[in-house]
Amino acid sequence: MSRPVLVVGGGPSGLSAAHALAAAGQRVVLVDKADRLGGAPILSGYAKLVPSGEWARDAIGGMVRRVETNKLVEIRKGVTVKSFTGSPGDFRAMLSDGKTVEAGAAILCTGFTHFDSVNKPEWGFGTYPDVVTTTQVEQMFSSGKGVRCPSDGREPERVAILLCVGSRDRQIGREWCSKICCTVSANIAMEIREALPRCNVYIYYMDIRTFGLYEDLYYWESQEKHRVKYIKARIAEVTSDGKRLLVKGEDTLVKRPISIPFDLVVHAIGMDPNIDNMTLSAVFDVKLQKHGHIEKASTYSNMSESSRAGVFVAGAATGPETIDDSIAQGQSAAMAALALVRSALLEAAE
Amino acid sequence: MTSGVVSERTAIGDPVSNAPVVAYEKLEEVFEDIRAHPLFDHELHGCLNCGICTATCPSAHYYDYSPREIVQLLWTENLEGVYDAMQEKIWSCAQCYTCAARCPFENSPGGLVMIMREVAIKHGMQSAKDVLRPFSRVLLKVISTGNQLAPNMITREAFPDWGPNVAKVDAPLNILRKAIPVPTMHTMDTAWEVNLKTSVELYTIWEETGVLDQLETIDENLFDVVSDVMDEKRDEYNEWLEEQQE
Repeated sequence: MSRPVLVVGGGPSGLSAAHALAAAGQRVVLVDKADRLGGAPILSGYAKLVPSGEWARDAIGGMVRRVETNKLVEIRKGVTVKSFTGSPGDFRAMLSDGKTVEAGAAILCTGFTHFDSVNKPEWGFGTYPDVVTTTQVEQMFSSGKGVRCPSDGREPERVAILLCVGSRDRQIGREWCSKICCTVSANIAMEIREALPRCNVYIYYMDIRTFGLYEDLYYWESQEKHRVKYIKARIAEVTSDGKRLLVKGEDTLVKRPISIPFDLVVHAIGMDPNIDNMTLSAVFDVKLQKHGHIEKASTYSNMSESSRAGVFVAGAATGPETIDDSIAQGQSAAMAALALVRSALLEAAE
Repeated sequence: MTSGVVSERTAIGDPVSNAPVVAYEKLEEVFEDIRAHPLFDHELHGCLNCGICTATCPSAHYYDYSPREIVQLLWTENLEGVYDAMQEKIWSCAQCYTCAARCPFENSPGGLVMIMREVAIKHGMQSAKDVLRPFSRVLLKVISTGNQLAPNMITREAFPDWGPNVAKVDAPLNILRKAIPVPTMHTMDTAWEVNLKTSVELYTIWEETGVLDQLETIDENLFDVVSDVMDEKRDEYNEWLEEQQE
């Protein structure tokens, strides 16, 4: 019998890879540094997902249960990998709990880290309680409490969503587009308008990138059906007059700077490389690309390969990624890993 | 180009303005001087038109001035627009560079304005002359002594042309100056009394860097005065040198 495949990270891509491998009869050891599976959608309390509209706890929770009840998947929660030695088909992983896992291959499904808005102090996060992140708004919905101003619990009448917070910004070394924030923001804006019909929602953008099929379902529908206003302007500062937040921007039509009052300002935060990527790079001996994400060996011939043979990578570990594409990449990496361990098994039998 | 065919470029003019028509060649020449500036590519990388520069610009609050517009005119190579901006708008910038600190592309609209100002001076544009005229006394002092003034000189008597606001300056400037954490060489009493050798070296710098050429273009009278001062100082210095040899 072939050695198990080590899947590192139990978010959408890791759950998908583990399930796909087990479905093909392959044993899997799934490790996660958190004490529960599900990754960002579960740990950060996402609400309704794009594009299905399903609640994260149902959609991703279902993936968690599917893997947790599979006898071929051995789950180690609350542990990290300390060393990873050997060669394809014959790896040995030392875990932080002192145990060892012998694995035929590994798949890094280590995901991303949400951008910390404190790194853009001029936009008021950490200074004003009513400046929040998209993740916090997701939590307001998923907790059932609804969108309220944290300062006094009132229902906001004017909400500003600032796009590209921690993305497309050379000043803070984030030169990438985080890919999902435009669509997520349009989704959140529609949810706010549904929950609080008297509330006006404005989205401040540089470009709108509701790519692919999200154009009409999110960008257009948020305007046509939900009257969300899109304003092309990057906000310079968020301040306060003591009562409301003041958002300072440029009215690009008349080329004049303006200050606009808001009750709630939402940062559409981007996806940073996982803060553990330097450690992961050293432990698994895989290269990181220029921005600090795990480098893919090939774009076309074997998209799941990392720079080290036998170590595969999937999902947001390689760069900003959607949940559904992460799931697809998890399956893709499972196929690549499966091919490796099966061929190693055949060679050993000969 | 096919021989015999003369390209007829009509001069560009504003139909509702009385301003004289500017030849297209002149517009090109001005723009080329801006683009050829060694810092141009360093200050301009592209533009997402996000407007954070204008949103954060203190001058944009008070004047018909938008750093985003400046960047866009240069990036899209709008020759008429660039030339037009140099007639007034570029002089509204306070050179605080907040735009550069905020731009997600790390452009420097303030730096671009600086380049445009240099080119406006090089071409002797009336806007440059008009803007710098009230500063002729400051220019004279800076160019002839290397510094403008010492704190104890800021009095109503010394600067009647500054208007009544100068009287409001009642801070203990001498003490504050001593609190500056870098050596100030105690220049507060000697700001305008500059060592002869230093003066002559300073004049060499002005000449070699083209500052004097700029001054001649912008303010010929001031240039004459400065030249006289420089000649005088150089004579004094040479006399002193000869004395030392004797």
